Amino acid sequence: MSDTQVNPLTELSEAMAEAVAKAGAATVLVDARRRMPASGIGYASDLILTADHVIERDEDIKIVLPDGSEVRAQVAGRDPGTDLALLRLERAATAVAQSAAQEARVGQLVLALGRPTPEGIQASLGMVSAIGGPVRTGRGGLIERYLRTDTIPYPGFSGGPLVDTAGYVVGVNTSGLARGASLTIPVALAWQVADTLAQHGHVRRGYLGLRSQPVEISEAGQRALGRQQATGLLVVGVENKSPAVEGGLIVGDILVGVAGQPVADHDELLSRLTGDIVGKPTPVQVLRGGQPQTLTVTVGER
Amino acid sequence: MIGANDVLKFSSLLAEEMAALVRRVQSSLVVVRGRRYGAGAGIIWDSDGLILTNNHVVGRQTPFVLLGDDREFEARLVARDPEIDLALLQIPAQDLPAASIADSNHLKVGELVFALGHPWGQRGYVTRGVVSALSQAQTSGKRGRIPIIRTDAPLAPGNSGGPLVNAAGAVIGINTLIVGGDQGVAIPSYLASEFVASSGFAKHFVKEREPAEAII
Repeated sequence: MSDTQVNPLTELSEAMAEAVAKAGAATVLVDARRRMPASGIGYASDLILTADHVIERDEDIKIVLPDGSEVRAQVAGRDPGTDLALLRLERAATAVAQSAAQEARVGQLVLALGRPTPEGIQASLGMVSAIGGPVRTGRGGLIERYLRTDTIPYPGFSGGPLVDTAGYVVGVNTSGLARGASLTIPVALAWQVADTLAQHGHVRRGYLGLRSQPVEISEAGQRALGRQQATGLLVVGVENKSPAVEGGLIVGDILVGVAGQPVADHDELLSRLTGDIVGKPTPVQVLRGGQPQTLTVTVGER
Repeated sequence: MIGANDVLKFSSLLAEEMAALVRRVQSSLVVVRGRRYGAGAGIIWDSDGLILTNNHVVGRQTPFVLLGDDREFEARLVARDPEIDLALLQIPAQDLPAASIADSNHLKVGELVFALGHPWGQRGYVTRGVVSALSQAQTSGKRGRIPIIRTDAPLAPGNSGGPLVNAAGAVIGINTLIVGGDQGVAIPSYLASEFVASSGFAKHFVKEREPAEAII
């Protein structure tokens, strides 16, 4: 290697240290449980995004910033379904993390960051090992996509960021979703949940009040629908006075779409029933006697 | 714009550089066999036969040192400090490939590191990671608290006394404690330098050595 060429190894090392410094400036200590503190991410100058399961008390929540100063915080919103929580600082005090523009890719080098002690930022290097999902979590939550990495989830890393080698956030790490195994919630979903929590304090999850099971749709049924859709949800029960009943759904209907989007299984139905749809009259498409019909159902809130 | 070819060229240079670094560091890596304990690792501190390793690797009696070229020597224990778990050995050999020593005072979390040693007896094994944390540990001796380097490079028994090197191949620490298999602790190289200097056996005390240039 000639003198004019850079050493790619030292360049990479320097870049990773820079990435840690940059993202570490927006990574804070979250002290809201009895055992060791966890980590959090500056989402706005007065908002910290962290893992829901590390918030064990509503009062006396303490944030320690990278410079060692302490700021009190209150819960602005929690979403156990995605294990995310948003904390509001008593004053605008944190640096704000920048999210990666591109979705994470399998094989991409990443760093998991955490600040469980006031001693300084901590990091572990690895790569995106797999991208999985959708996966259902407790309390009606559904995560459309999650990342697995081979970084080491050190104690107190929950709520901290997974960043790329330029220091941009690609996800939020948590060990609270998969029985202690570490998962990473992709930044697009995490930011979306944080935005909802900042506005409403919780993530709205819809409720129809029906029991269903996936069934195949016959070729004739698919022709009648005018699209290729192999499965739908056969309604096998409806609850009294539920949104489903009010909207005219009956046992024997095959639910095939919600709000103009096809619904082929339970996971798709759950993911369609979140957010702005809740509380609003929504078109629900069914096959009844082999013929498509569109009913209007006002989606309830769970 | 950086094209796909540039990226691939960069990654192949990166791979070559990594392999060259490991070869370089391996030449300064030794096996230290205590008589009562299993084998550990050590580094050639200077070309006249000073070997640095962990105190707990050496044990109570005269250890043996096996060089990369398979020559084996009975070593003389010249200094030890159980508090920071370091020991200095002398072997009767000349013109040895000494390790280059980095200044660990300028370490940053996230820096790329490689750990070399002989985990489970596998000679010259290399693992990679980063500086995970710069923290402190309580000692049982007069120092009280000492700075330590935590790394996520996987370590196992047999890594003890081996080098933790930076992306330039210079030693930043001596791998010392293995916590739960996935969290290693290294004694920073400047503590090692101080230890060697205070032993009075080093011919020259070099506080900061420039890392050797990579030649491919």
